[in-house]
Amino acid sequence: MEMLLAKYNYWIYVTLMMIGIYAMIAKCNLMKKIIGMSIFQTAIIVFYVSIGAKKGATIPIIAHGHGVAHEAVRVADYVNPLPHVLMLTAIVVGVGTLGVALAIAMSIHEKYGSLEEDEILERQE
Amino acid sequence: MISPEQYPVLIVVTPLLSAFLINILGNMDKRFCYPATLLALAGSLAAAVGTLCRVANEGVIHYRVGGWPPPFGIEYVVDHLNALVLVVVAGVALVAAVASKRSVEEEFPHKITQFYTLFVLLTTGLLGMTITGDAFNLYVLMEIAALTNYALIAMGGNRALMASFNYVVVGTIGACFYLLGVGHLYIMTGSLNMADIMTILPSLYGTNAILVAAILMLLGAWIKMAFFPLHGWLPNAYTYAPSATSSLVAPLMTKVSVYIMIRVMFSVLGATYVFTVLPVKELIVWLATAAIVGGSLFALSQKDFKRMLTFLIVAEVGYMVGGAWLATERGITGAILHIVNDAVMTLCLFLFSAIVVYKTKGHQLSNLEGMFKKMPLTMTAFAVGALSMIGVPPTAGFFSKWYLILGGIDAGQWQFVVALLFSSLVNAVLFFRIFEIAYYEPHSDHHGHSAPVAIDEAPMSMLLPLAVVAVAIIMLGLYSGEIVTTFIQHAVPAGI
Amino acid sequence: MIWQFDLLILALGVLCALASISLKDLLSAAIVFGAYSFLMCLLWTEMGAVDVAFTEAAVGAGVSTVFFLAAVYHTNRAVKPRRRGRLLHKLVGLVTAACIGLLLLSATADFPTWADPNSPASVYLSPFYITETIPQTAVPNIVTAVLADFRGFDTMFETSVIFVAGLAVLAILGSYGRRQRDYEPSPTGQDAAHQSSIVQTACRVFVPFMQLFALYVVAHGHHSPGGGFQGGVILGASFILVAISYDLRVMQRRLRERLAMLFAGLGVLIYAGIGALCLVLGANFLDYSILHTILPATSPIMARSHGMLGVEIGVAFTVMAIMVIIYVNVASHGKSDRGL
Repeated sequence: MEMLLAKYNYWIYVTLMMIGIYAMIAKCNLMKKIIGMSIFQTAIIVFYVSIGAKKGATIPIIAHGHGVAHEAVRVADYVNPLPHVLMLTAIVVGVGTLGVALAIAMSIHEKYGSLEEDEILERQE
Repeated sequence: MISPEQYPVLIVVTPLLSAFLINILGNMDKRFCYPATLLALAGSLAAAVGTLCRVANEGVIHYRVGGWPPPFGIEYVVDHLNALVLVVVAGVALVAAVASKRSVEEEFPHKITQFYTLFVLLTTGLLGMTITGDAFNLYVLMEIAALTNYALIAMGGNRALMASFNYVVVGTIGACFYLLGVGHLYIMTGSLNMADIMTILPSLYGTNAILVAAILMLLGAWIKMAFFPLHGWLPNAYTYAPSATSSLVAPLMTKVSVYIMIRVMFSVLGATYVFTVLPVKELIVWLATAAIVGGSLFALSQKDFKRMLTFLIVAEVGYMVGGAWLATERGITGAILHIVNDAVMTLCLFLFSAIVVYKTKGHQLSNLEGMFKKMPLTMTAFAVGALSMIGVPPTAGFFSKWYLILGGIDAGQWQFVVALLFSSLVNAVLFFRIFEIAYYEPHSDHHGHSAPVAIDEAPMSMLLPLAVVAVAIIMLGLYSGEIVTTFIQHAVPAGI
Repeated sequence: MIWQFDLLILALGVLCALASISLKDLLSAAIVFGAYSFLMCLLWTEMGAVDVAFTEAAVGAGVSTVFFLAAVYHTNRAVKPRRRGRLLHKLVGLVTAACIGLLLLSATADFPTWADPNSPASVYLSPFYITETIPQTAVPNIVTAVLADFRGFDTMFETSVIFVAGLAVLAILGSYGRRQRDYEPSPTGQDAAHQSSIVQTACRVFVPFMQLFALYVVAHGHHSPGGGFQGGVILGASFILVAISYDLRVMQRRLRERLAMLFAGLGVLIYAGIGALCLVLGANFLDYSILHTILPATSPIMARSHGMLGVEIGVAFTVMAIMVIIYVNVASHGKSDRGL
């Protein structure tokens, strides 16, 4: 139980990542590949956000922090903000990639009338 | 007004700011795009050359972006290795931009603005990847370069679309592996600054997590550089890409990825770790050998000229990866020198292929018939690039190959030496076959005695860059000794 | 942190992920994927990553799902059943996934215990950010301070990534510049007749509040979760809502594509321009503290705070414009005529 509690987040992220990779390689439908890609990217976010978590700490916004007169900030009170910043970037990159991938998939559909990889390859010959 | 202190950041910021201006100006009048692009890239090249001179005189330069000290803020580190790569990237991008004018006007006249904005942003991404000293910043720049690259390839339409889609999927896996590797380093060390990670890492050398981080980062770089057997995406993507795109991405994308592999090996994980703790040195040199032999053989079996070139890229990636993993001083020197030389050689070949496509509307080997008579100057410049690929002195290709062979002998990895010689032989066969086609066979004339073919050179905007590159190949060859003593020998990690 | 709750969400998340890749109907797959994103965003809130959760709610569960739906609408909804199996692909997929999974699992053994306050990540860099944010930048939201100042350079490129994405979609799908793309009134004057009036009325009531909230999110990012990205996405979503409930042309009357592209470029220019201004004033790139020399009545500390607000506004411009551009092009297959 201790072991489970200590690491379950990491195990789940690995599971999500495997689902994503499998979909990207094995699925024939381009949209499914794109969904797999998005799952893959969120798995990484789960991983990073898990790094940032801290027991007994709250969200990284300093209470009564405005102005000069504030008490000394205790580090143990706030979760690690750095992974959050990194993952904001990763989410944005994810939506960018999604947009481009969808655009390419739609152009492919317009050109070959299909979203199935094998049919497209057949029609290219 | 702006002090030399600021040069490192200007290398990246000049093209970045210009890209948005190009987009805004271009939407008013398309004619602004081309000169603005040249201006932006020339500015970046000037800053890169200024930085190179500073590095040669003063040694490693550190630049704190936002004024925050590392490891809290993002730091730019320019040392002898990346100063050189920066100049190569900025220079190649400028030459490719000069040559792109006619191809772009011909291939997508309605999307000139978008093309040049993406072109400049791709260069920004590559420069940023090269200059940064922060492991996460590298990922962001990698994604800029990747997204622009997908779009620039997909603009080729038709078969380029599927090639580009595959590239999106594979490229995302590569970038995510790199990001995941950085995450593993971060969870174990708590830092994102490359130099900082390297100082913390020795106490963690034995752990599985660092091993996994190393594997993931290297896998990410290998996917991005199309290292055998992860090269599947490259041939289609580069063959069907528009000419103007392939003259930029073919010389640079793989080379910058090789640079990143070298940076990860020596500036993040540390030479001690990759060569003594990881037991994979021999295995990777074998893989590189397979890449060289496989790439050469595939190139030999192609009827499509551009496709043949893409397989040569796969072989050349094998040269550089193998050289870096030989773990000898001369091997690593050869690998770094080859990054520079191969970028210029590949540029020469792809500029030529852009001319072929522009003139003959195709890139089959048969399109080259009678080229020597029709375009003597163009073919001469191409011949210089081809001789350099074969490795004929005094062209640049000879010297880096020489270092790689010596490195292979030092390391006792004879199979790598044999593969290098084999690849030279194959290149000789390939290019002399092309010379034969271009020299002897009359251009699409099967009716007895042919009329003399009129000289029909490529337009000046394409011929001039090609000529400059051909001269550069010879100059790089003549000055390779100076390049090695001034820069590369400082870039090879000590104690190998 | 309640681990039972965590585990439940994670388990549901895995289920949704599995469902979205195995469903034969792409429309359902897209919806289930939206649910998956929403579960992830709950999970991150629960771990204290409120800014990430906010962004995921706006981006992942919000506009991404809309993009998916729009793309599915214009292509095939059904996944073709495979008569002859793709055995090789499935095998390669399974083996790769298993290898990567084992590799990653083997690393987890060395990780510090989850949420351990003494893990390297929590004791090395993060104390600096937590204690120094207020004295150095006067911004209570540490994530905003790190995002826009300490690591502001990353964020500038992140905004560029968004810009690139929009431009890429235009370059691939768009016929932009080929002919006049701006709105032309339709001859019948009945563009929006096919839509439900309930939806339209609700939309009309809703949109002003959405936009007001978006502006609040941008402006209040220093003190609460939010900032340029989240605000920008919400602003963009308000336009997308108009486009869905009325018609693409009704939306384009308010925000033409040419104008949106100008906004997108302008946003990143604001960001990089503020950075370059610092450089011109003699400090390093993006060192906002130097701005106190030109801003009236500020100290270097407050100048950082103001600099951050400036770049967040730039980010909001770009993100809003690009979200609209991507939607317009995906929803109309690059023709930007009628939409869904």
